Amino acid sequence: MLRLTLAQMRRSLGRLTAAGIAIVISTAFVAATLLAGDAMTRTTYDAVSRSYAQADLVLSQAPMTGKDLAVVGSVPGVEAVHAPLTGWVEVPNGGGITYLEVTTPAQDPRLEGSTVLDGRLPDGPGQIAMPADVVERLGLSLADQVPATQTTYREDPEDPENVVPDTLEDELELVGVLDDTGTALMGGGPAVVDRTDLARWLRFLEPEATTDVHHLVLVAVQDGVPVTEVRESLRTALDGDIAVRTVDEQAAETVAGLTNSAQVFTAIVLGFAAIALLVAALVIANTFQVLVAQRTRTLALLRCVGADRAQLRRSVVTEALLLGVAASVVGTALGTLVVQGVLGILTRMDTDVPVPDGVNLTAVSVLVPVAVGVTMTVLAALAPARAATRVAPLAALRPAEAPRVTHRSGRVRAVLSGLLMVGGFAGLALGVVIGPRVDLMLGLAVGVLGGAASFVGVLLGSVFWVPRLVGRFGRLLSRGGVAATLAAANTVRNPRRTAATSAALLIGVTLVAMMSTGAASTRASLDEALNDEFPVDVEVITANRSAGAPAMPADVLSGIRGTAGIAAVAELTSTVVMVNGTEEIGVDAVDPAAAAEVLRSPEQLAGLDASSVVVPAAVARWSGITTGSEVTMLSDDGTSLTLTAVVTDLAAYSAVVLPEVLEQLDPSAAVTSVWVRLAHLDDVERVVAEIQQLASGADVAVAVQGAAVERAFYQRVINTLLAVVVGLLGVAVVIALIGVANTLSLSVLERRRESATLRAIGLSRRQLRGTLAIEGMLIAGVGAVVGSVLGVAYGWAGAQTVLGEVSSVGLTVPWRDLALVLVVALLAGLLASVVPGRSAARTSPVAALAVE
Amino acid sequence: MDTTTSPPSTTTAAVRARGLTKTYGSGEAAVHALAGVDVDFAAGEFTAIMGPSGSGKSTLMHLLAGLDSATSGQAVLGSTEITGMDDRALTRLRRERIGFVFQSFNLLPMFTAEQNITLPLELAGAKVDREWFDTLTTTLGLADRLTHRPSELSGGQQQRVAVARALIARPDVVFADEPTGNLDSRSGAQVLSFLRRSVRELGRTIIMVTHDPSAAAYADRVVLIADGRIAGDITDPTPESVLAGLDALRSLDDLPAVVR
Repeated sequence: MLRLTLAQMRRSLGRLTAAGIAIVISTAFVAATLLAGDAMTRTTYDAVSRSYAQADLVLSQAPMTGKDLAVVGSVPGVEAVHAPLTGWVEVPNGGGITYLEVTTPAQDPRLEGSTVLDGRLPDGPGQIAMPADVVERLGLSLADQVPATQTTYREDPEDPENVVPDTLEDELELVGVLDDTGTALMGGGPAVVDRTDLARWLRFLEPEATTDVHHLVLVAVQDGVPVTEVRESLRTALDGDIAVRTVDEQAAETVAGLTNSAQVFTAIVLGFAAIALLVAALVIANTFQVLVAQRTRTLALLRCVGADRAQLRRSVVTEALLLGVAASVVGTALGTLVVQGVLGILTRMDTDVPVPDGVNLTAVSVLVPVAVGVTMTVLAALAPARAATRVAPLAALRPAEAPRVTHRSGRVRAVLSGLLMVGGFAGLALGVVIGPRVDLMLGLAVGVLGGAASFVGVLLGSVFWVPRLVGRFGRLLSRGGVAATLAAANTVRNPRRTAATSAALLIGVTLVAMMSTGAASTRASLDEALNDEFPVDVEVITANRSAGAPAMPADVLSGIRGTAGIAAVAELTSTVVMVNGTEEIGVDAVDPAAAAEVLRSPEQLAGLDASSVVVPAAVARWSGITTGSEVTMLSDDGTSLTLTAVVTDLAAYSAVVLPEVLEQLDPSAAVTSVWVRLAHLDDVERVVAEIQQLASGADVAVAVQGAAVERAFYQRVINTLLAVVVGLLGVAVVIALIGVANTLSLSVLERRRESATLRAIGLSRRQLRGTLAIEGMLIAGVGAVVGSVLGVAYGWAGAQTVLGEVSSVGLTVPWRDLALVLVVALLAGLLASVVPGRSAARTSPVAALAVE
Repeated sequence: MDTTTSPPSTTTAAVRARGLTKTYGSGEAAVHALAGVDVDFAAGEFTAIMGPSGSGKSTLMHLLAGLDSATSGQAVLGSTEITGMDDRALTRLRRERIGFVFQSFNLLPMFTAEQNITLPLELAGAKVDREWFDTLTTTLGLADRLTHRPSELSGGQQQRVAVARALIARPDVVFADEPTGNLDSRSGAQVLSFLRRSVRELGRTIIMVTHDPSAAAYADRVVLIADGRIAGDITDPTPESVLAGLDALRSLDDLPAVVR
């Protein structure tokens, strides 16, 4: 029987290859995900353990004092101990401050975690060694004097209610540049200063605290003494709270915390791999169904000569098993090669993150993808295997007919599919209602369940609706000529196969459309939230505005207006007034028309008139002002005005009035700040830099605050995530397209005689190829269109369920993405028909005359 | 009964072959399927080509119908030489001037009988001549079967649909390849009478390849072929005269059979 199976496989090699490619891609996906996850973990592990230099043991978890250190030193086998102090230092540069982690050098070079690239480590007070990236960022070079400050806040001796800043200023000489490779994941490597300096700083920050406390102690063990033995002695000698671990244990412990997120990431990507596997399973099931149908005569003949049902089933399952093993091994190898290639490229690209230069093949990373691929293939072949057993021996005696796989579509299937769809969509709708109103998690659960159920219903029912839709589309096309008529008729000949092919594509397209609609809708509502949070893209203010801010220099003002990429500018004049006789607050005045153009949420200044003042919610909270309350403002020159307060969400710390109102309070008020709206948010970095350049030339201090930077960052995160997700789902679409090509080539083989007949009665080669092209595009197009519609519905429902509470989510249809999906699907359908079309066109019309 | 070798005529021939040769393989392994055939088929006549298996009768038909390319010689349809035509020209020719009837019917299963019949016109982008369509379907007894799909028709009915499909475009000539091979004798006889009627009443030209003497007897003329050569010619055949002609082929192997 095995020989027979092999012989049959050889005969169907072409068909099996197509299914094999689907398996290869999906197992490669799984293998690559596992290996990449492992590489991420190892990268983290290396980065962590690197900071321990050549230490053998690491003591951590509880603070250790000098007494503990003495104990450690006295334990036999301990050769060297390094108990670094750690802290932070501020390095002022230009307008900002760089915060640097600092540590102290080790006496024993084996325990020194820092590697010196240039210069040396500090060997006395007043010296510092900094990581290369920081040195570069600050534009320093060796022997430069680096300002270093420590700032703390202490109780004001005159007013115990108040705190005042206290600053310690130092000048350190840059004596060394440190290697910063491998520290990116840990938030950058520390700078190194002498122990006396750091101890002094720590005492300044907390005079009462002892500097004799260490949170991490590194220990080197004498050569020849087993590390575990010393570990045990230390555990006995020290307080039980102190953890004594080998470097490997310590790194694993740290990594466990850090890689929680890496594992979540791997799990998510594996979820996408599962979708790819599901699609591949559909393609495989489809292929085997056709293989069995094509072998009906052979199978029947075997039954006639005495093969029993179990043998036939075994034959099909064995075939699937062999295909699964072969393709999965290839897929795993391919996935490994891809990850290896990417790692190779990353290593050469000199990124800040040290990547392993090779994949780490473990039993898991090899066996899991293979096992998954084989299991999936065999499972997918079970239904076709059952179909093989249903072949009656009599079929061998019947005249040969074109093989068919038309089964009567069961009533059970219809009912089940209908119930799932109705119930599922109801659940989806319920989720949209419950999510924002009752409970988010409950709504989400109901919605996800409903969505999944309805999708399963749609897939189950595909055998009913796909052929109908394809037929209808086809009839629309059939006015386009005989090729279209033939194609339309051909696609509905085998409803089950057409449905399965279309459904495979449907899965991928639905998910892509769902993600893209969800993201588009979320982005729209997130935009609203961001508009409220960051109403002004860029704010330019003269420094120290609270106490009589200096006027904005005219050349800066005109310079801002002249900056490219700016959509609107509003100038604000300001003064400081006493409110209700108690609080001093800043008051800004802005022309409402200009403000409306600049603000991303103009309603925050709505209702501003000559008798009112807009009070930001933050100011209102501590001053006790509410909407409608009377606010009396007293200016420096004694003018008093009473206005009605309007409290809004304006994210500012100054009240806002009309320019004519401010004119009465402070006739000499100057323009002290400017609100800028950008034409394109992506320009924000450039615009901010240009304005900063302008401001640096001014003789008053000017600060540029770009809320748009943060905003652009959020948007970029969403866009990147979306691109990654769509890319991952794209794999499923690619596999589905292989399914389309597979279906078409099977059709070509089956219809050999028909094609020849058509050629004999006058169908040209071009028309024959055209027929297949249209057929491919019909199958792909229907899958893509239905998938898009479903995806839009799911995506919107998801966004509505999650964000409905925050803001009303409008349905944002990502037309561009959907059009792209459709075009790709149609092109791929066309492409899928090229090879089958060529082989069909090669058929000589003489074949029509041949008798089987 | 008057059966003679007919001299090649040039005036009313619908299809002519001159020195038509087809060789498969080369050198010592070469097989001469056709070894220089000269034959004319008159317009408005029902001709049967007969011969034992491997005699080259099918090859002759393939070459005459432009389905296969000749090694040398000429095949002429009306006044058009078809040997040497490219695929596009041949496709046009088949579409407009040649009809086919196959042994295994070869109807398209997804189309109704009517759609199958009018398919050649659709391929050519031509309009259906309803009158001609009605004449054909009535003559062939298909009028009440037009909405049925092939799977709902008997073998005889399917072959009659195929005959109608072959005739719908009023081709210069219809080639029929063992049209009764897959039919029982009653259905076969029906199809053959329709073929004969379409020649006599509808003025068509039909060339049929068969190995069944009783089928050949329906023709106006039988061309016998053996070993790739024309081996005899029978006018107004009867099953008996055809059998006699075939017997003569066997006994006189290489010589042209002249049956008295």
